[in-house]
Amino acid sequence: MAKARALDRRRRSVRNIRKITRTMELIATARFKKAMDRSIAARDYTRQLAKILGNIASVGAGVDHPLLAVRPTNRTAVLVLTGNRGLCGGYNSNVVRQAMGLLGQWSSEQVATHVTVSGKRGISALRFRKVTLDESYTTFEDKPAFDEVAPIGQAYLDAYCSGAIDRLDVVYTQFTNIAKQEAVVETLLPLKPPQQDEEAESRAHLASEEYDFYPSAESILEEILPASFQSRLFKCFLDAAVSEQVARMVAMKGATENASGLIRDLSRQYNRARQSQITGEIMEILGGVEALKQ
Amino acid sequence: MADQSSKRLLHCVIVTPEKTVLDLKAASVTLPLDDGSRGIAVGHAPFIGRLGTGEVRMSGVAGGTSSQTSLRTFVEGGFAEVGQDAVTIITQRAVDATTIDAAEAQGELARITAERATGDEAIAARMAAETAARQRLRAARS
Repeated sequence: MAKARALDRRRRSVRNIRKITRTMELIATARFKKAMDRSIAARDYTRQLAKILGNIASVGAGVDHPLLAVRPTNRTAVLVLTGNRGLCGGYNSNVVRQAMGLLGQWSSEQVATHVTVSGKRGISALRFRKVTLDESYTTFEDKPAFDEVAPIGQAYLDAYCSGAIDRLDVVYTQFTNIAKQEAVVETLLPLKPPQQDEEAESRAHLASEEYDFYPSAESILEEILPASFQSRLFKCFLDAAVSEQVARMVAMKGATENASGLIRDLSRQYNRARQSQITGEIMEILGGVEALKQ
Repeated sequence: MADQSSKRLLHCVIVTPEKTVLDLKAASVTLPLDDGSRGIAVGHAPFIGRLGTGEVRMSGVAGGTSSQTSLRTFVEGGFAEVGQDAVTIITQRAVDATTIDAAEAQGELARITAERATGDEAIAARMAAETAARQRLRAARS
């Protein structure tokens, strides 16, 4: 009896775990949809900024802004975006691995690094690996607000312009589509100059709209580059949030399926144990009857 | 020309990094450029302008979610792109001007004017903040 009862107890606990993972999966799905909507809503801004940048580039305004200047890297900033919570598969560890690779590279080149980490998981993982963290945030969940990200971006812009840092790399999980998210290192500073691709140019010519600039193209460029940096940084945060939910969704789906499989196996074992126990008891009774007959 | 333009409307869009705040059609738009307001009607020459802090006023609004015919939106910096019968406003922050609390705006202005700024950069930053606060207060009162 003992074995069957133990199996039954195990099966019950696996059932409870399955309930939890199933719920987490559903929550992650709902959050993913919300995060995805926010990410899509944010695309308009980036697109409009790119359009204006393209227009400025097409009139050939002098593109020599301090944010575009590539300087030899003496001091670099690294921003690592991880989640506050685990149970999301390899999401956090992939980002941490990328970050460690980057930090290792900088330390081998003897470049001083300023490390900022967002998310409890990343903070503890990097501390464990003896990385000195200069700043850390745990306030970013599945809905990063622009007002929260903007001060961080502004601090980087100020540091870059004053020469305190020569480069900014963001390590985060890029969201390509629901089936593909990848931990990547993206260089946000120095900014890539506005691209003047031929397609956009021909479109501009077709539209034959000659834009005037108030007060001047240079003045707009001066303002638009920080804005474009901010929006790219914000996109990194949004991507990280979306990817985290997708990763959790997939991990929890796997866990739920695994629990179901385990329950099936345990049920089979339990039934077999119970049956063999009953058989044993019948044999005992029959044996007793035979003994009494004699 | 006159009756033709009365039928045509400007397509107005306000986008912030988080979402598209407004997307509707209006007869005319007043933009707070950084050196003063500028009114835009249908057929305006295309331009890209830098915005200051202030109100974007739209009149003769058709479509959108509200039934009002004029709308006031408070923006802080950004750009406006005026194209063929379309105005696109790209700003970091945009709020409905009617929701700004006058008392709060007054308090903000008082706090900024009470601050002492030393050095060129700090003075410039204070001036900008003060102008923004005054514009906010004006938007709240009107």
